[in-house]
Amino acid sequence: MTISKSTLRGSNRIKENDKRRIVDETSRKRRHRKIMELLESDNYHDDPHADLVMSKKIPKFDDNLEHRNTRTKKKERTTEYYQFKYRKNFQQLVDEDRAEAELNKRVSYMDIQCEESPLPPRHFCAVCGFLGQYNCLSCGTRYCSIRCMDTHMDTRCLKWAA
Amino acid sequence: MFKSKRRRTSGAMDSKPAKKESIEAIIVDSGAYSIKAGLSSIKKPNVIPNCIMKAKSERKRLFLGNQINDCRDCSGLYFLLPCEKGYITKWDVQKPVWDYVFSHNVCPINEKPVIMTQPLFNFKSIQDCMDEIFFEEYEVPSMFRLNPTDLGRLKYIEDNNFTQDVPCIIVDTGYSFTNIIPYINGNKYLRGIRRLNVGGKLLTNHMKDIISYRQYNVMEETFVINQVKEDTCYVAKNILEELKVAAKSGSENTIVKNYVLPDFNNIRRGYIQDSSDLSRKEYEDNCQILRLNNERFIVPEILFHPSDIGMKCMGIAEAVVKSIYSCPNEYQEELCKHIILIGGNCNFPGFKERMYNELRSQLPHSWQVHVFQPKNPVSYNWEGGSSLLKVPDFKTYMVTKAEYEELGSTIIQQRFNTWMIDNSEIKEETREKEEILSYLDNLKDKSVFGKQEPGENVSKTDSDESDTNIQTSDGNMNNTGQNVSDENNQDSLCHNSETDIGSKLKKTQLKTNENATETLDEFYLEEEECEDLRNSVDLFPLGNGSYL
Repeated sequence: MTISKSTLRGSNRIKENDKRRIVDETSRKRRHRKIMELLESDNYHDDPHADLVMSKKIPKFDDNLEHRNTRTKKKERTTEYYQFKYRKNFQQLVDEDRAEAELNKRVSYMDIQCEESPLPPRHFCAVCGFLGQYNCLSCGTRYCSIRCMDTHMDTRCLKWAA
Repeated sequence: MFKSKRRRTSGAMDSKPAKKESIEAIIVDSGAYSIKAGLSSIKKPNVIPNCIMKAKSERKRLFLGNQINDCRDCSGLYFLLPCEKGYITKWDVQKPVWDYVFSHNVCPINEKPVIMTQPLFNFKSIQDCMDEIFFEEYEVPSMFRLNPTDLGRLKYIEDNNFTQDVPCIIVDTGYSFTNIIPYINGNKYLRGIRRLNVGGKLLTNHMKDIISYRQYNVMEETFVINQVKEDTCYVAKNILEELKVAAKSGSENTIVKNYVLPDFNNIRRGYIQDSSDLSRKEYEDNCQILRLNNERFIVPEILFHPSDIGMKCMGIAEAVVKSIYSCPNEYQEELCKHIILIGGNCNFPGFKERMYNELRSQLPHSWQVHVFQPKNPVSYNWEGGSSLLKVPDFKTYMVTKAEYEELGSTIIQQRFNTWMIDNSEIKEETREKEEILSYLDNLKDKSVFGKQEPGENVSKTDSDESDTNIQTSDGNMNNTGQNVSDENNQDSLCHNSETDIGSKLKKTQLKTNENATETLDEFYLEEEECEDLRNSVDLFPLGNGSYL
């Protein structure tokens, strides 16, 4: 009798604790950043040919270049050459440009970025897309109705992009 | 043998009609998603996807550019894109695509000069590589490089018979970003340029996201969903009204549409289902159908309100207004009459109307607002290439291969980057930065500033100042004039901030009345301070930039 009571009580407390895990501001921001990165990505899935082993039989780009016969053999270069010589990624390019721009006192790529709007943001229901008035307590996502809230709780809330 | 002969003759035929124009060049507008390329003598460019695609169905083949048309099954296409945020970083992708574009398949170079576009503030390393590829690998005899919007402006001026110095503002909304570029006296006004990091790619990815959550999982179908976006999305006039309609059910809801997804068997490209058309009904039964409701206008809405998806950035119309206001006062009204919309996102139905409505409501009513959108906003910049060739003495601006070999990349790049952004612009650039620096120096003790605000304040006072300055029509004269006014301006700025910092000190000075001229000066400044109350740091400690 007593044992079952204590376990009940204990489990209740744990249940209470588990009910509302509130995601803090920093991880919400991290989540948002992840979403934005996903929106900029080229592909969602992996390269379908990744498992292919390139053999000599597979036609390469160079194969259809025979038309440019004016070019001297010496100057012909492979794509790998360019990729290796100019292999900087975007962030490196921006940083370099910025440093150079500051030195020469000119406007650079970063300076023309738009500012934040003075107007308040609008909120849309993450589930159905109509105006969403309510916030999810746990993760801050917007929804518009109990129905959408339930869908949100069942599918997305705290389930993706931890 | 017979075959080869034939081919040769056809090649000669191609180059024959070319000789009519004085300069015949190949114009290439190399965008992040599509390359627009063709001879200057033709009317319409070849538009070729600037990517390499891999299909699931054909495992041993890569599809370069428009070879994708040969692909039978375009589901789950994997994209290799050469650009990152609009700037070329993956040369292992870009080089093969260019090789393909400049081969006999599309647009062979054949020893003709090349006019090439590059994004705004193209990074040096990218330009180096472009130089190397074109001069050394493709061995072009001469080349010129400029921003795509420069060409768009020339085309606009030529089509409407405007003078070269007509101010205009170009909104270029493409695949990776949206640029807003004001042109004054034929030059970009650098201080007015704005960039939104919203482009077609982001819209497609967002659409993919919401459809995957609400209906089918289409996360891998970038290619198909991009077509869905192109076929169904539109810009709402008033989003709240539109949402109300979308919330209705039955026949009252005029927005909801069923989109038949391609199965790459009977249907190669999806389309909006027409319930009255029975001929297709047969195979539609076996197809997957997307039901699109508010997605149709919520997605393009991100352009106007990036904050909808939590981006800390203003909308496209707001940014245009902001850009106009950051230009000198005397040009602002004129700029509103020449707002040009170009780029793929303009193809959303209702885009132009929405832009006009938003701009109209945000600009003073006494100003005339005119928004122009060309029939084909994607290739408009390319079409400007032939206008560029008509510029007198254009040949002298081109960089020849010999010059490249003698002078090297760095020097010829200066030529590319300073013809359109000519000397006055460069002076302006330096001037601008100096101003900011000096202004910051003056206010070092005050730590209320973020990075942006001083620039805004300066531009405000600057434009006020230049109002009094007599403008001459000549660009160069104008520039020197502005420089003079600028010195004045800097002086007054110094004084201004002095008065800001130590108004007490000034009062004591006034009392002592040491020097008659000095007090006069002070009075003058006092007056000016009253006029420029909006710029006073004390009144708006957070800066007044965002309230302009």
